[in-house]
This record gives sequence, structure tokens and C-alpha cells, in this order.
Amino acid sequence: MMTDNGDITTASVIAPPRSEVGVIGWLRTNLFSTWYDTTMTVISLVVVVWLMWFGLTWAFGDAEWRVIGTLGGQFIIGQFNTESACPGQNCFWRPQVGLLLATIVLGMAWGVAGGGTAKKVALAVAVVAAVMSLIPYSFERMGMDVRILLVANIPAVFLGLAITRYTPWREVKHVAIVGVASFLLTLFLLRGVEGLPGMHPVSVIHWGGLMLNVLLAVAGIVLSLPIGIGLALGRRSQLPVVKLLCVAFIEIFRGVPLITLLFMSQVLVPLAFPENFPQNSLFRAAVVITLFSSAYMAENIRGGLQALHPGQAEAARALGLSGWQITFLISLPQAIRNVIPAIVGQFIALFKDTSLVYIIGMLDVVEIGRAFIQGNPEYLPSARELFIFLAIVFWIFTYGMSYVSRRVEDHLRVGTR
Amino acid sequence: MAQMTGLLTYQGIPVWRHAQIIQWATQIVSGFLAVVLVLWFFLNIGGAIQDRNIPYGFSFLDREYQTPIGHHFLPYESSDSFLYAIGVAATNTVVVSIIGVILATALGIAIGVGRLSGNWIVSKLALAYVEFFRNVPLLVQLFFWFYIFLALPPVRDGFVFFESLHVNNAGVSVPWPVPPDVGMGLVWLALALAGVIAGIIVHRFLLRRETMTGKTSYPVIYGTLTTVGIGLVTWIALMATAGESPFVISYPEQQGTFFRIEGGFTAPAGLLALLIGLVMYTASFIAEIVRAGITSVGKGQTEAARALGLSNLGLLRHVTFPQALRVIIPPLISQFLNLTKNSSLAGAIGYSDLTNVAKTMTQTAPPVSIFILIMLSYLAMSLAYSLAGNLYNRYVRITGA
Repeated sequence: MMTDNGDITTASVIAPPRSEVGVIGWLRTNLFSTWYDTTMTVISLVVVVWLMWFGLTWAFGDAEWRVIGTLGGQFIIGQFNTESACPGQNCFWRPQVGLLLATIVLGMAWGVAGGGTAKKVALAVAVVAAVMSLIPYSFERMGMDVRILLVANIPAVFLGLAITRYTPWREVKHVAIVGVASFLLTLFLLRGVEGLPGMHPVSVIHWGGLMLNVLLAVAGIVLSLPIGIGLALGRRSQLPVVKLLCVAFIEIFRGVPLITLLFMSQVLVPLAFPENFPQNSLFRAAVVITLFSSAYMAENIRGGLQALHPGQAEAARALGLSGWQITFLISLPQAIRNVIPAIVGQFIALFKDTSLVYIIGMLDVVEIGRAFIQGNPEYLPSARELFIFLAIVFWIFTYGMSYVSRRVEDHLRVGTR
Repeated sequence: MAQMTGLLTYQGIPVWRHAQIIQWATQIVSGFLAVVLVLWFFLNIGGAIQDRNIPYGFSFLDREYQTPIGHHFLPYESSDSFLYAIGVAATNTVVVSIIGVILATALGIAIGVGRLSGNWIVSKLALAYVEFFRNVPLLVQLFFWFYIFLALPPVRDGFVFFESLHVNNAGVSVPWPVPPDVGMGLVWLALALAGVIAGIIVHRFLLRRETMTGKTSYPVIYGTLTTVGIGLVTWIALMATAGESPFVISYPEQQGTFFRIEGGFTAPAGLLALLIGLVMYTASFIAEIVRAGITSVGKGQTEAARALGLSNLGLLRHVTFPQALRVIIPPLISQFLNLTKNSSLAGAIGYSDLTNVAKTMTQTAPPVSIFILIMLSYLAMSLAYSLAGNLYNRYVRITGA
């Protein structure tokens, strides 16, 4: 109004006071708005500075990081390449090739997604793997070939990328096929076969380290989502028998701690099979972890389905879609998109839960460290360093997962209001 | 005959596309498969039990357990029965979960509110806490705390503060009130309960008066005073009549050639590590729930409360929290359940919770029976929490319009 009259020009509008904008303004509103706020700021600052000072002087002064170097590559592959697991041979290349296959799949994912988060993840994994070749490992019988295999992760990513660029394999389903095939091939490589050179069979009890956590988590993540979807649909089914079965399954698995289930799987399940039946404790653990995670997944997805407006299904029915089409083309995609944070939260929980396999005697990355401390009491004072290291390792993985989930969420939110 | 012809010349929807037939078939097939699978599993186990001479049944429950339990809140001797030992172990789990739930809720609320603080440093600190503690496996955290306790000096050279607080690698010992006999203990328990109930009644009465009349009544202060007052009055009365203190405070002291700590209350390292780990881990999840609950309360509510002149604390306590509770309670209950179930990791750090004791029991008792018992125990705990949560949820729900 006033500018219309020409009485007050834009230039004569008084600028906000210096104390309300810029750095000072930010400090005033965010740190020193009231006496109470100022007190909190001062206390928090003291805490932060003390924590940082204490943490840094400890980490670079008193801390004994020797235990990390002593265990070295055992954190990654456990006892896989020891003399008892793989006598007289170098078996280290087998997990390495598994990693190469994984980076190829990540490269393909990058190609299919066309950059973005997939690109960052693929490159980060490859670079970290390549950099690891520079770390002096304490692996017995680790030759040059292993370092080459580690560095080869970088070309492997670009190989995956090239596959999507220059061959017809450039769709999501192709990545899925190659991914599943690579996973099975990796399992085969790790297990080995009798008679082939360099493929000495390695019993699953020697699989360990971070490799074991990742294998269990990947298998669990890939399988628990479809099983969870099935259970969620079953729980919402109008068929009383199906509903009852699904509710019973979900509630039993959710009501009992995973550790109890794992232990039960080791004591009870073998009894259900003939005595000479080939038993595999790792397989049983993987099944239990997957089923346990599926029960939680089912509840997350059920939440998403319940939050969906019934008008969606009604509209789809009015358009003449069949029951299956409504479920898989209308309801599920929207329900899953709405509960992505909860689903990824469950994936993260599953990854953290893989550390529980210690109860069946598997040496995962945590148990490898703990067993070492337990067996070598002279390292007892280094336990702090060990578990801080393990915490950081897990944190990188889980935080990475939640980061990717946030990006996927943002990506899928496009087009919704 | 006519029916037969009707069936033969059936021209309706084909059988494989007939909705009702498909539904019935699905139900029958899935039900049948489930029954067969479960029967196969248990019959095989039953067969294996007979073939391999594995003990079974529940007659072992009356037998003496004959194994020590590392730490127990209930009195326990090795000559006690299996049934009682399971009860002792279950009590350990219940006590840990109740203390853990209370502490984790308090810490979680503090951090959740801190996340929303207008103070930049406070909110970032709370964010760092949440992002770190919920992304690291509980097992790693438990081991961390446990090995910190193990790295402390042994009992002989342990730290002693004020000649009463002992800190060493066996745990922490504190002075503890001990009633002279069981009867007096029960009297004190009843009095404590009566005091708390009286305090709550006073608090509610004053709060209602404050809400109704607007007269400042300090419900929290008077409620607390009532509880403390009842305790104090009875203590003085008992002192005067009996001529001696109704309970003695037992101080922990190093005794014997092995410098064992006698007296007081000793929380073993495993229990402390378990509680610290569980509380810090669960608090990070509770903080996120609290934050989501508070942000779900409309901004208009906050603005209206501020316009009415409520202080920051009053705003949180009288306006935001009561409304946020409705969103918070259901996921909070599931966190309580998670804490209870996660307490089964106690075995990893040598604390004798239900799962750990059950694991030891399978060496001398039928594993199948043990598993059935502990599964039922955990399911009962889950149900108890769900029930309490649902009741409370009903209490805070919006009633009427």
C-alpha cells in the first residue's frame, strides 16, 4: 500500500538490527536467548570440550590400539584363512572374489539408478576396499595377489557400470538376478569343493568376522522382506485359518528374545532330523534370524497397510482391478513407501542382531575380538579400544544404511503431496 | 439325479476361478500344511527323545538344582528345586527390566526433549547421542561396559569412597537398610506402599483443586511431603515404642583372607554393565519416540499455551506432554518389551538372567521342557507389559467429544 503511494521507497525500509541477523543474530536465537538458555549452552560447551579433550588425549595417548592390529584381517574374514580351516593352501582369494562380485553388482546398481546415492555407495565401498590393500595385515600366507584383488574393486565397479551401459542388462530385475547369482556363487566359493585346486572345502564353523555378519544380514534382508509381506497380508486376510496361522507365527517370534530362539535352534531343531542328517548350524541360525526379522517386518508393513486410505482399494476395485492387482499394484507399493523408515530400521536391527550368533559358537566380528581378549588376558586392558573400534565399524554400516534410506525416501516422495 | 445332471452341465464360474472355492481350498491346504509341519517337528523330536534316551517331562522341577546362581535378588541355595531356581532367575530378569524401564524412560525423555531444544548445542548433543547409541549393537555396548568394570582393581585394592561405597572389579557395593526380621520388612514394604498411594491421592486432589479453582496448590511438593511424612512419623513412632531403630543400615566391609565384601548391597559388574548398556541403548530409541510424539502436537497448542503465559516447563508439563503421551505410549510399550527381551543378552557378560540360567539347566534337565517354560515366561512378561500399556493407553485416550 505504502509503496503504491510512493511515500516510502524500498530503500527507506529500515534494515533489521545487527543483533538479529548474521552470526550474532544466529548466536542470540540459538544459544543465548535467555539466561536459562545461556546456562545450558555453557554447560553443554564444557561437556563437549571436556569430552573431546579427554577423547582425543586418550585416543592418541593412553589408548593401546595394538589389539586391532594384532587381530587385523581376522576382523574381516575370521578364521577362514587359518591353517586349520584351509590347510596348505591360500584360501584368502575366495572371500576377495566374493567382494569383487558385490562391487560389480553395486556398479550395476549405480548404472541402473543413474548416479546419486547408488554411485556414492558403490564408489565408497570400492575405494575403502582398495585402500585396505595399503594396510599391513598380519595374515599368514597373504601374497601380493590379495592386494591386487582388493585394488581390483575399483575397476570392478566400472565393469558393473559398463555392463548397464553397453549391454542390454540395464534394468532393476537384471541387477537383482546378478545380485542373487553373485551371492550364491560367493557362498559356493566360500564353501569350496573337494578336488579342485585352491578350493579346499572350508567348514562353516570357520566362516567369521565381518564377512559372516554381512552374509547373514544380506540373506536376512533379502528374504525377510517378502516373507514379512506375506505374513502381513496373511494377518489382514479374511480367511480365519490363514489369519490365525500368521498371527500365531508373528506373535510367537516377537514374544521371545532372538537369543533364546537361536539357542533353541541349536538344541531342539537337530532333534527333529535323523541323526545322520547333514547338520549346518550356520544355516539354522540364518533361518532363525530371517524368520525373527520377518515377524517384525510383517508388523511394520501391516502398519503401512492400515494407514492406507480405504478409498485407494475401493477406487481400484471400481476400475475393475482384481484382488491380486489391487494388492500388488495399488496397496503394497504405497504401504511400503510409507513405512520405508521402519523397514530400514528393521534392516539395521537385523544387521546388529547378527552379532548374536556368538551363542551358537560362531566367531563373528564381535566374538572374534571378545574371544581373543578372553584367551589372552594380557590384552584385557585393551578391551575398551577393541569395543570402541567395533562400535565404530558397526556404526559406519548402520549409519550408512539409514543415510541411504533417507535418500530413497526423498526420491520416492517425488510426486506425492 | 437332477442334481447330478446339474453338476455335470455346470456352466457357472470355472472351479479354479471360483472365489469361494479358492478361499476354502487355501484355508484347508494352509491349515493342513501347518498342522503337518508342526506335528512332524514335534513327533520327530518325541521320537528322537525316545531313541536317544533324552530325558523328558516335567518331573525334574521338584529335583534339587544343585548349581549355584551367580547373582539373585531372592534368597537361593543350591539345594533349592529347579522350579524355584527358574523363579529366582525370572525374578532377576523382571527386576532388571523394571529398573531398566524406569531409568531408560527418564533418560529417553530428557534426550528426546533435548533433541527439540531451541538451544543448538543441546539439540546437536542429543542427536549425536541418539545416532551413536542406537546404531551400535547392544552386545558391543554391553561388552564395553563390562570390560570397563573388569579393568577396575580387584576387591583388595578397590576404590572406597566415604568408607561405604566400594567400587572394584567385582562390582559396586553400597550401604543398604536391612530390617531386623521378615515381619518388620513386610511392615516397611506396606508402609512404603501406603505412603506412595497417599502421596498420589494428595497430589491428584490438589491438582484437581488447582485446575478447578485456579488457586496455586503446589501438588507435587505436598504430595512428596505426604509420602516422606508418613515414613518419618512411623519411623519415630517405632523408635519410641521399640526403643531401637526399626531397621539397621548394613555397611559393606572387606572381610576374610580373600577380601570378600560382606554386608550392604553388592551389584555385581555383570548386573551394572547390563543395566547401563540396556538403559543407554533403549533411551536412544525412547528419545526418538518422545520427539515424534512432541512434534505430533499441533503448533497452535504451543502458541496458545505461550499466549496464556505458561512457562517453558509448564508448557511441556501441562500442554505438550499430556497430548504427546497418546502418540508415545504404544511404541514406548514395545520398547519396554524390547528392553526386557534384550536383557537376555546378560549371559554374554556373565549375569544370571532367565535365559542364561535356562541355558545352564539344559545340561542337567530336559531341554524341551526348559524351552517350553522359558518361552511361556517371556510370553507372560510380554502380555503383562501389553496389558499394562493398553490400560494406560485407555486412561490417556481422548474420551468423548
